[in-house]
Amino acid sequence: MEVDREDGRSQNQLRPLACSSNILHRAHGSASWSQGDTKVLAAVYGPKAGTKKNENPEKACIEVIWKPKTGQIGKLEKEYEMILKRTLQSICILTVNPNTTTSVIIQVVNDDGALLPSAINAACMALVDAGIPMRHLAVSICCCVARSGLVILDPTKLEEQNMKAFAYLVFPNSVHSVLPEGSLSVQGEPIENGIITSVTHGVMSVDDYFYCLEQGRAASTKLSDFLRRNLQQQSTDSSKAG
Amino acid sequence: MENKQSSSPASFIGSTVIPGDVVLDLSSMANQTIKLGDGLREDRDAISAMKAGTLRCKKPNKYRIESCQKRYVPCAGDTVLGIVVDSKRDDFLIDIKGPALAFLPVLAFEGGTRRNIPKFEVGTLLYLRVVKAKFGMNPELSCTDAHGKAAEFGLLKDGYMFETSTGLSRKLLSSPTCPVLESLGKKLPFEIAVGLNGRVWVNAASPHTIIAAANAIMNSES
Repeated sequence: MEVDREDGRSQNQLRPLACSSNILHRAHGSASWSQGDTKVLAAVYGPKAGTKKNENPEKACIEVIWKPKTGQIGKLEKEYEMILKRTLQSICILTVNPNTTTSVIIQVVNDDGALLPSAINAACMALVDAGIPMRHLAVSICCCVARSGLVILDPTKLEEQNMKAFAYLVFPNSVHSVLPEGSLSVQGEPIENGIITSVTHGVMSVDDYFYCLEQGRAASTKLSDFLRRNLQQQSTDSSKAG
Repeated sequence: MENKQSSSPASFIGSTVIPGDVVLDLSSMANQTIKLGDGLREDRDAISAMKAGTLRCKKPNKYRIESCQKRYVPCAGDTVLGIVVDSKRDDFLIDIKGPALAFLPVLAFEGGTRRNIPKFEVGTLLYLRVVKAKFGMNPELSCTDAHGKAAEFGLLKDGYMFETSTGLSRKLLSSPTCPVLESLGKKLPFEIAVGLNGRVWVNAASPHTIIAAANAIMNSES
């Protein structure tokens, strides 16, 4: 089914991605992620000694602060903080630095649709830049279901407002391994077929949801490759310097 | 990406890995003892990476991930520059840019006894050696070398301290001498102390020289 998107993209086409890390001088890790016009800046401070009151001292604690572009901090920002905190807690290895706090601060520079997925991608890159031990990376994508039943990826803000329902999905990245294929599986499926987070808004049928998952997973491999190339390039840049 | 997967364990050594990459297959190395350094962890039957960086192997069996960060992971035997944060009855609390504060026992000085405990104010800069850095415990430091001699450890007076990344400190301390330090040393007379935790202290006769040397080192990172 042909779809008429404003910027001429096809159904499954993502907007141009751009990512740079180590951009903030004082933060211990930082990254800026943009998908089209949506741009998010993430800064990581830590690990610092001491945990918050109600947190388990045998594990590291991750604290997320979300700063919107304009306006005061309200319920929506607190919800984003909670989602981001749970996602990051599942990808970081919390037992390596017990009794420490790592703060992740997200600053929205521009919001043009798919804000939470961009923030998750930016936070993940910033954590890698800070050297926080992680199990694997997280790649995040937004899929939405239009009123006509069509599923499209990576909507802009206008498209998002006209959708029947949308889902933010976070998958683990695809790993390179020296092991033969198939031995890195959990219950018979390769690791990248898992899912870390799923946040849905609106009403969609179960079949539509599973179709969104499939499309999202296919796009997540492209995002994984982009992340890997980016990290490899940065590491060759820093080894040539000095 | 099938061409990247191969069954030989040497395929990732020297190349960049990202968190999650499985770098060593333990089932093919049955009776060997492998030492894992920074950034690697054991995950069921394989070793996987926790950080992004270059996989290095020191023969015969030591593997680690070399990466450049702004925070420091304390490791026994390293020399670091610490700042005094607090002093207790039996030790000083020192900040070494790691996840936990480190302890410097009050007697860990050459000829140190209960009668001649040094008085360090909060904010004093010291050049120290990491004695113990175990998982879960605060690192322990010392102002003497392994034999108990002072060996340049201790208080750093005057001069200027600046922070860099751990990658640059390692480069400054590598042998043969780092080209930046060599060329700088031919032009300017200065004194330098480099901590593996990303802190560098420079001292010279005039502030002009100190600033020139510090800027040269900071800019050499690229």
